[in-house]
Amino acid sequence: MFDQYVGVSPKSDLILLQMLGAKLSQRSYLHINSTRAGGGVAEILQRMIPILGELGIDARWEVIEGDSKFFDITKKIHNALQGNAEIITDEMWQYHLKINGQNAEKINLEADAVIIHDPQPAPLIEFKKTGLWMWRCHIDLSNPQIGVWDYISQYCEKYDAAIFSVAKFARAMTIDQYIAPPSIDPISEKNRDLTEEEMNETLKKFQIPTDRPIILQVSRFDRFKDPIGVIAAYRIVKKYNDCILILAGSPATDDPEGEAVLKEVKEFAAGDPDIYILLLPPFSDRDINVLQRIATVILQKSLREGFGLTVSESMWKGKPVIGGAVGGIPLQIVHGITGFLVHSVEGAAFRVRQLLNNPDMAKKMGEGAREHVRKNFLITRQIRDYLSIWYFMENKGKSILEL
Amino acid sequence: MEKIIEPFEFRQCISILKSTGRKAKNLRQLRDVMAVASDECIFHHTYQYFLKGHILEYTNDFAHWAGESLEERALSEHLSNIDPYDFKDINDLRNKLLDVIDDHLERFPEPREAMPSDEFYFNETVTLIFPVGIKAKNLAEFLMAIKYIDTGSIYYHFYEARIRLGSGIDDFSRWIEDAFGKKELVERIRAIDPFMHNLEGIKEHIADAVEEEVRRDMEVIDRCLTSM
Repeated sequence: MFDQYVGVSPKSDLILLQMLGAKLSQRSYLHINSTRAGGGVAEILQRMIPILGELGIDARWEVIEGDSKFFDITKKIHNALQGNAEIITDEMWQYHLKINGQNAEKINLEADAVIIHDPQPAPLIEFKKTGLWMWRCHIDLSNPQIGVWDYISQYCEKYDAAIFSVAKFARAMTIDQYIAPPSIDPISEKNRDLTEEEMNETLKKFQIPTDRPIILQVSRFDRFKDPIGVIAAYRIVKKYNDCILILAGSPATDDPEGEAVLKEVKEFAAGDPDIYILLLPPFSDRDINVLQRIATVILQKSLREGFGLTVSESMWKGKPVIGGAVGGIPLQIVHGITGFLVHSVEGAAFRVRQLLNNPDMAKKMGEGAREHVRKNFLITRQIRDYLSIWYFMENKGKSILEL
Repeated sequence: MEKIIEPFEFRQCISILKSTGRKAKNLRQLRDVMAVASDECIFHHTYQYFLKGHILEYTNDFAHWAGESLEERALSEHLSNIDPYDFKDINDLRNKLLDVIDDHLERFPEPREAMPSDEFYFNETVTLIFPVGIKAKNLAEFLMAIKYIDTGSIYYHFYEARIRLGSGIDDFSRWIEDAFGKKELVERIRAIDPFMHNLEGIKEHIADAVEEEVRRDMEVIDRCLTSM
């Protein structure tokens, strides 16, 4: 598997991975999260564990189990940490700890290094046996419900270090806080190169014409992704340039507002035959890959965002991306070089027109975008970061290490 | 006896960001945190600015934030004009930055606020240095290597070396001077302004200078061959 990244990922990352693998050879490395499938964390762990094995590290991935009551509580905790109003009672906190205790009895927690992903399994620290423990927080903690953060941070502060995706997602803590942005896998179904046959299959399935420029946004039908704003921007563009718009996304089953947003989007599209609203079922990775490859310009016009990895996915296909300047998007889009950052519907429309009318600029920007992702947002860089953090924690107090 | 030439070993560094958890939303808060921030933090926001593939408008993160987020254009120009390599000690650099900010605050005592989530986030880094497995024994090999080397290696040998060696000199020109004594080429490399190019630009300038030297060397007629 490691060999598949040769010639794709930066050579220096691959060299460093091998060197760190040699330093940490035969050491045990345990990752624990709360779901085996679905979601970005599980997606990356599925690919990461075998690569770590190839590097000589004894890597293991365990998943905590819980009933629906447990996951209802953890969803509320998750939402509250992202700033939503939620009430977590003492009884709920106790249940959170109790289920983690039950998992601690079932899972072998002994390892040289342990990474606990997100708040769901955070209380496992209470059952720590050996090794260095890291709390990996994938969510934005910059504006939490402070009472909920105060409670969960009692656990988090007991770890040896925390890892966040973006510096501005972190909070002041007494432990070391490392930053490791998430990543995409260039050889996964969603990102690998496709044959013409595979491309045509999807185009035929959705009856998408390719005789005009295509504007695309791939995202859940969620107000924070501003699908209405995307249609409004398309309408401005349409006055000057003939084009089609594709809004593709999975229905948000865990979001009660999802249905309402989809209805609003359909109403706002008002039967425009050049607007394609595609409801993709889960595991539509190849279709998303095709859509990103056929698009002329890709939008991620979010009003609020986590890291927004769909931006990197699009950039990896050599496309200029226009993104809302929120969450992790500004980290991926270097304004004017690998895409454009916008703050309004009008701004988005203007940048789309600019790219449609300057294919050379769009091409150059797309090439810059792909290279930016290659250097910064591929899975090999993320594994490199995790192993580097572990290595630095073993050499605590040093800020420069030579291999 | 012929001089033994030490090959040039290309190395590279990568840095992992660490959050200090501190942030500033206006200039007064920025200066207050800067005054007490760790040396590593000041180092990261100044010297390591070049590691990011910088925008040529600015030369450090403080100037960048003042210009882009606070829209304090004059201040950002003053901060950008500070050359970190002029200072032997990180605290001297810190004090110079603070002087410039204090001077601005004296003239404009009510600083504007950055938009939410556009605050200045104080970070540090930890750095790993490692060999990339490429060695050059002569200028021709060096030329091939520098053309294809990762820009992280350019950062290590061109920028980081100035602090490591303490004399404002990069590794490339030092090796060329020690190994071949090629004064003209050495001067050309040392004349590349580190603030006016991104890492790709530095790489191209060095490759151009070395290529010209290699071409010139190829033109030299060895008298042993012609017996003249």
